[in-house]
Amino acid sequence: MQGAHNNIYKPAIMKIVDRHDEAPGVRTLKLEFQNPADHELFKQNYRTGMFGLYGVYGEGESTFCVASPETRKDYIECTFRQSGRVTSALASADIGDLITYRGPYGNRFPIENFYGKNLIFVSGGIALPPTRSVIWSCLDQREKFGKITIVYGARTVADLVYKHELEEWEKRDDVDLVLTVDPGGESPDWKHRVGFVPTVLEQAAPSPDNCIAVICGPPIMIKFTLISLKKLGFEESNVYTTLENRMKCGVGKCGRCNVGSVYVCKEGPVFTAAEVSKMPQADL
Amino acid sequence: MTTQEQYKKRVKELLSNGTVKMVIGYKAGTTADRRRPLFVRTPEEADKLVLDSACIANLSGYLVTEGLLSDEKRVGIFLRPDGIRSINILAAEAQLNADQIVILGFDIVGQEVTALSGEKATDFSELIGSIKEKAPEAPQNPQLEQLEKMTPKERFAFWQAEFSRCIKCYACRQACPMCYCRRCIVDSNQPQWVNTSSHTLGNFEWNIVRAFHLSGRCVGCGNCDRACPVNIPLRLINAKMAQEVLGAFDHFSGMSETQEPVLASFKKDDSETFIL
Amino acid sequence: MTRILLSDKLDNCVARWRKAGLTVIGPVKKETFSSYAAVEKAADVKKETFSSYAAVEKAADFNFEMVMPDRSIKELFFPQTEPMMGYTIKKQDIATEDFKPPAEKRVIFGARPCDASGLAIDDPLFGWDYKDNFWFQRRDETVIVTIACTKSDDFCMCTSLKLAPDSTKGSDVLLRPLQNGKGWQVEELTDRGREAFKEIADQLQDGSEPAAPTAVVAEKFDLDACISWLKNPENFDSTFWKEISMRCIGCGSCTFLCPTCHCFDFQDEGDTYSGIRRKNWDSCSFSLFTMHTSGHNPRSTQSARWRQRIMHKFNYFPGKFTANSCSGCGRCSRQCPVDMGITETLQEISTLKP
Repeated sequence: MQGAHNNIYKPAIMKIVDRHDEAPGVRTLKLEFQNPADHELFKQNYRTGMFGLYGVYGEGESTFCVASPETRKDYIECTFRQSGRVTSALASADIGDLITYRGPYGNRFPIENFYGKNLIFVSGGIALPPTRSVIWSCLDQREKFGKITIVYGARTVADLVYKHELEEWEKRDDVDLVLTVDPGGESPDWKHRVGFVPTVLEQAAPSPDNCIAVICGPPIMIKFTLISLKKLGFEESNVYTTLENRMKCGVGKCGRCNVGSVYVCKEGPVFTAAEVSKMPQADL
Repeated sequence: MTTQEQYKKRVKELLSNGTVKMVIGYKAGTTADRRRPLFVRTPEEADKLVLDSACIANLSGYLVTEGLLSDEKRVGIFLRPDGIRSINILAAEAQLNADQIVILGFDIVGQEVTALSGEKATDFSELIGSIKEKAPEAPQNPQLEQLEKMTPKERFAFWQAEFSRCIKCYACRQACPMCYCRRCIVDSNQPQWVNTSSHTLGNFEWNIVRAFHLSGRCVGCGNCDRACPVNIPLRLINAKMAQEVLGAFDHFSGMSETQEPVLASFKKDDSETFIL
Repeated sequence: MTRILLSDKLDNCVARWRKAGLTVIGPVKKETFSSYAAVEKAADVKKETFSSYAAVEKAADFNFEMVMPDRSIKELFFPQTEPMMGYTIKKQDIATEDFKPPAEKRVIFGARPCDASGLAIDDPLFGWDYKDNFWFQRRDETVIVTIACTKSDDFCMCTSLKLAPDSTKGSDVLLRPLQNGKGWQVEELTDRGREAFKEIADQLQDGSEPAAPTAVVAEKFDLDACISWLKNPENFDSTFWKEISMRCIGCGSCTFLCPTCHCFDFQDEGDTYSGIRRKNWDSCSFSLFTMHTSGHNPRSTQSARWRQRIMHKFNYFPGKFTANSCSGCGRCSRQCPVDMGITETLQEISTLKP
C-alpha cells in the first residue's frame, strides 16, 4: 500500500475543519484531506482499528488511532491528550491550520466476524476513541448485530470524552449505555454509576454466549477487566483489544514498537486477548 | 605476593565478612590485551579477577548505575588515581555517597602494577594533591603542543575534519563516568537543543557541548577516546579544556568530595565581573 | 581455466569505471591523531588509523590488507542522516520538497562477504509491504564486488552464522585472491555484475593460477542450539539476561557499526517556518529508545535492551524474513568498549539447557 508518493515516509496534508475540547487536556480534531489522491488511497485502505501518525512539520509525528469509523471516510477524526512536544503543537493548532497525516497503517477489527453477535464495549478514560471507532462502525449498520452494551468510565465526570455522543447513545433504545466514574469523581448531579470499570462491568454481568468483547484502556484497566470478563465466562479469543507502543515509522522498519516478535504497527494494533497473553508480558 | 594476588585475597575478605556486597574489577577478555569489567559477588568469583597493566579502563561509571547504591550497602571497586578523582567528583555532585565505596587503589607504571594504600576516598587526598602539583610539568602531550602551535583557523579545520567522522553513537557519553544525566541534553526534545544528525553542525554541537560540560570535571581517564568507534581523539579536546581550567581557575578536578564544580561556582574575586 | 584480474590492471579498471560515470568505492585506511598519551617524545606517539568504505581515484588508494574496515558497508545505503523532505510553512499552505538520494552509479570494489551479506539480509525488511526507496535506489545503482577473505581475526564469526569467508550472498561478483598475490580469480554472479565487468572485459585474462586458501574461521557457537533456547518463551524472563549484560554501558557502538542493524528515528531540523525532516540512525541499546511520553518505558533496564537486541537478531527477524539479522562480521565485539558483543552471549546461551 505505497502512498501516492514514492516516499513512504511522506505524509499527507490535512486541514483542521473542526476542533473540540473533550476533557481537560484532551482535544478532538476533524481533518480533511487536501490532496484528492491521498484521500482516494485512504478511502480504499482504511478499516476500523487502523491507526495513523499525526504530525506538525517542524515538531514531529505522534501515533493515535483513527477515531472515525470505516463507514464514514470523508474525513478523519482523532482524539489525543496534550502530553509532549507533538501533541502540544497539535493542541495549539486552530481551525483552518494544516497538519500532517500518515497512514492508515496496521490491522483492523474483523467486524464481519461480529455479525449476528452481541457486543460489549468496555473502555476507560482517553481510551474511548479506538472503541468509539468500532462502536460507530456497528451502529452505522445496527441491524447486523445483536445486543450492544457500552461500559465506559473515567476518573472524574470532567474526564469523560465524547460527552455529546454519550448523551446520544444513552437516548438510543438499541444501545445499553453503562456510565461510571471512579469513587470520588462524581459531581453533585451525577445520575449514573460510581465505581471502577471492571467492578461496574461485573455488575452489568453481560452473558458470554454469542458475545464479542472489545476493550480499550490503560494497561491496569485492561488487566482487571480481563479478569472480570474471564469470571463472567468469556473466552480470550472472543475478547479484542488494542495495544499501543512508541512508534516512529509505522511501517515495521524502525525497530521500535515490537512486543516480543509482534510488531504493533504491522501485526497490530488490534489483537485478541489470547494473542496478547502469548506475548512476553515483560516487553509490554 | 603480586599486587593481583594481594588484592584477590582482600576482595575475598571483604566479601566473606560482609563489608561489601559486590566488588567491581577486571577479568580476562577476548584477546590477550583486553580486560572486561567483572562484578564479583562471592569469594569464589574473586578467582576470576585480573589486575595487570592492561587494566586501564575507569570503572567508576558503574557506581552510578540506577539503583546500585540505593540499598546503602557498600561496594568495592578497583580504581587508579583517575578513577579515585572520579569518585570525588561524583560525591561532590551528590551522585553517590563516598562512604559507600571501598576503594582498591592501584597504579600502573610501565608494565608494573603497584597497590595504593588506603580504602576511603579521603585516604588519597595527598596523592591527588601531588598529581596536581606535577600537572603543569608532566611530559607535555606532543599533540597538545602541536595544537597550541596552530592558528585558530588551522585548529578549527583540524577539529572539523576529526568531528566529520562522528556518527552520534554517544559511546563517549556512555563510557564517561562524569556523564550520568538521566536525560542528556541531546535527548531533550522540548526544545531539541542539539540535533541528532551527524552533519558538520550536528557533530560540532555535540562534541563541543560535551567538552564544555566536562570542563573542570574530566579526569583524563581516556574511556571516551577508547570507546569512540571512529577514533576521534576525544581525549585531546578534553585535555585542552582541563589545561585551560587549571590555568584560569587553578582548578584540578576530583581533589575532594567538597570541591566546588568550576562551572557551577562564582567567587567575588573571579576575573570576570559576571557569571557569564 | 578461470577469468583472472591482475592487480596491476586495477588502475585501468578504476579509470575505466570512472570514465563510464561510476564512482569507485573500496576499503580505505587513513591515519589520524592518536589518543592522548603521556609520552616522552613525539616519536613515541602511536598513530591511530580509521578505516571505512570510501571513494577512490586510483588503485593505490585501496587497502585490501585489513581484515575489514572499521565501519560497515551499510552506511553507503542507509546513511547516518538522510534528508527525506523539506517543508516551508506558509499562511494557508505547506510547500514540500522531495529529497532523493543523489543519483550516483557506484561500484564497490573489495567489499567483504560479511558486509555484502548484511545488505542482502536487510533487503526484505526495507521492502516489507512498503518499499523504502532511499535504500532501494542506492541498491539498484550499486554493483558489489566482494573479495574473499584469506585472513581473519579473533572476532570474525561468519562461519558460526552459516556463512563463510567466500560467501556469495549479496555479491554481484566474487573475487578470490590468487595464491601468488598478484591478482584475483573472477566469478561473475549476477547480471549487474556481468554488466559492470563488461566495461573492463579487456583487462581480464584467462588463467589457471590457483586461488589462495580462504581464511579459517573456527565456529564459535552452536547457532541452532542458541535459536532453540531463544525461541522458548520461558527463557524470555531468565536471569541470564541480567548476568550477561551487567557490563553493557548502552553506548550503541555495536548497533551503529553492524551491517544489518537498521533502527532509525525521524528528526525535524529547522525553524518555525521551514526545515528538513531527516531519517537518522537510532539504537535499541539507547535508554530512551522505547520511552513513551507518559513516562512508561517497556525496556527500562539495559538487560531488557540487550535481550531485545539478541532476540530481534536471532528470533524475531528470522521468524519474519528467514535470515538471521547477523552476518558474523564481529564488529560488535571488536569495537565494544567493555569487550562484550554477540559472540560471548551466544557462546553462553549455547551452553544453557534449552
